[in-house]
Amino acid sequence: MAREYDTFVLEDPASVPEDQELELVVRELTPDDRRYKYRSFYAKALISKSESKYSDILKVRLGRGQLLDTPWSIELIKEVSKF
Amino acid sequence: MSTYRRLAVGMGMNPNATIPEIADEYVRRTQEKPIPPVMVDATDAPCKENILLGDDANLFHLPGPMVHEGDGGRYLATWHFVVAKDPDTRAINWGMYRIMVFDEKTMVGPVLPFSDMGKMFHGKHVPRNEPMPFAVVLAADPLSSIASCAPSQIPEDQLAGMLHGEPVELVKCETCDLEVPAHAEIIIEGEIHPSVSILEAPFGEYTGYRTSPRDPRTVYRIKAITHRNNPMIMVSNPGIPTDENQLLRSFSLGLEMRKLLESQGIPITGVYMMPESTHHMVVVGVKHAYSGIASQIANLAFGSKLGPWFHMIVVVDDKTDIYNKDEVIHALSTKCHPIRGIRKYENDIGTPLNPYASPEERKMGVGAKVLFDCLFPLDWPTSDLPLKVAFSTNYPKDIQEKVLSNWENYGYKN
Repeated sequence: MAREYDTFVLEDPASVPEDQELELVVRELTPDDRRYKYRSFYAKALISKSESKYSDILKVRLGRGQLLDTPWSIELIKEVSKF
Repeated sequence: MSTYRRLAVGMGMNPNATIPEIADEYVRRTQEKPIPPVMVDATDAPCKENILLGDDANLFHLPGPMVHEGDGGRYLATWHFVVAKDPDTRAINWGMYRIMVFDEKTMVGPVLPFSDMGKMFHGKHVPRNEPMPFAVVLAADPLSSIASCAPSQIPEDQLAGMLHGEPVELVKCETCDLEVPAHAEIIIEGEIHPSVSILEAPFGEYTGYRTSPRDPRTVYRIKAITHRNNPMIMVSNPGIPTDENQLLRSFSLGLEMRKLLESQGIPITGVYMMPESTHHMVVVGVKHAYSGIASQIANLAFGSKLGPWFHMIVVVDDKTDIYNKDEVIHALSTKCHPIRGIRKYENDIGTPLNPYASPEERKMGVGAKVLFDCLFPLDWPTSDLPLKVAFSTNYPKDIQEKVLSNWENYGYKN
């Protein structure tokens, strides 16, 4: 079953590159342990504005938290530690 | 704490106390001799009933709430204070700076450079690339929380004692050289990272808007959590007025301003910061003793450590009831000249939270301020001074008394 994540897009969503590795902060929306919902992490990932291209769902919010109507999809490559 | 009634209860006063009565009591208590805290052993500190270190200190084992739908994360610290110590002077600071949970060991939040903790962190720790020890106090007693919000010159752990009328009991932290209230519910200890920033926000803020951008902000890495058995957390849910942030911050900002102006010998009759203004607008009543008095008030207040937190001053005469919004609006809209009565202060300190500021001003912390001078100039001839038309000022005393005593006989209700 697809896992769900979300991210904040601070620029024009149309300018976000698809199908190439990029680094972003995502939040877990469907963790195995619900206490971890909204856990954030930096990740290397591939994303697509198509909801079905990659295995997991990526919900998208704009800079002030506005949720886009249609989710994107994401494939996480690895978590990136900043410490 | 979002009503004056609850504030009165928190201060141990009659719940029906008026705003001026509560204000006078705050000023009385905070002008007496500072009361230093006392240290207690960990065995006498309820906040040490459970001590979690290493992997056991996990932020997701605490119920940090998603306060508003669309926030940037779960904000564990919205009604709390952060304890820090100046690395050179060892001066203590307690301050309420919002903090979002990022992951198991990491929190993040804005530490504005003009705040007391910001001066320590950005002015000393960052240039030296040294981490800054911190302790977040969740759910302390109400008066300690009030002290942490007050922009006072008195160290907050002593100010809290003054508000209580007795010393606050503190206990040593587990992992750093800081002291925290022994009776708090939860303590989170760790270090603020001097060289890494991570994304924080958006958040529904005290202004009633979600304004500040999602930006890289200050990182708190945790080392320990201690808490009472079955602890509680306290949460503020900021939004449109009036909430506890707006009320308490307005209360203490206004009264610290009153003490500042009185200390300079200015003949003020009162200071009231309206909570509905989200502590952005203050009304100062003054005896119009000399020309330029409104500018003197504005210059002092804007130039003090209180200045960054608000941007509008309305100066009214001593006949205007500063607590009565109708009277203040009447004075503002009739006595303040639309050009000469308004003095602007550009390129001043601002915060990323100011909804009126441009995106660039928010990013750079630039703001502006304004004085509304609602005093008729002293050089106007008496014969040219507008005379207020009101029942209490325009009818002979005997007529007033006759009307009032017969009011119900006329068929009106009192």
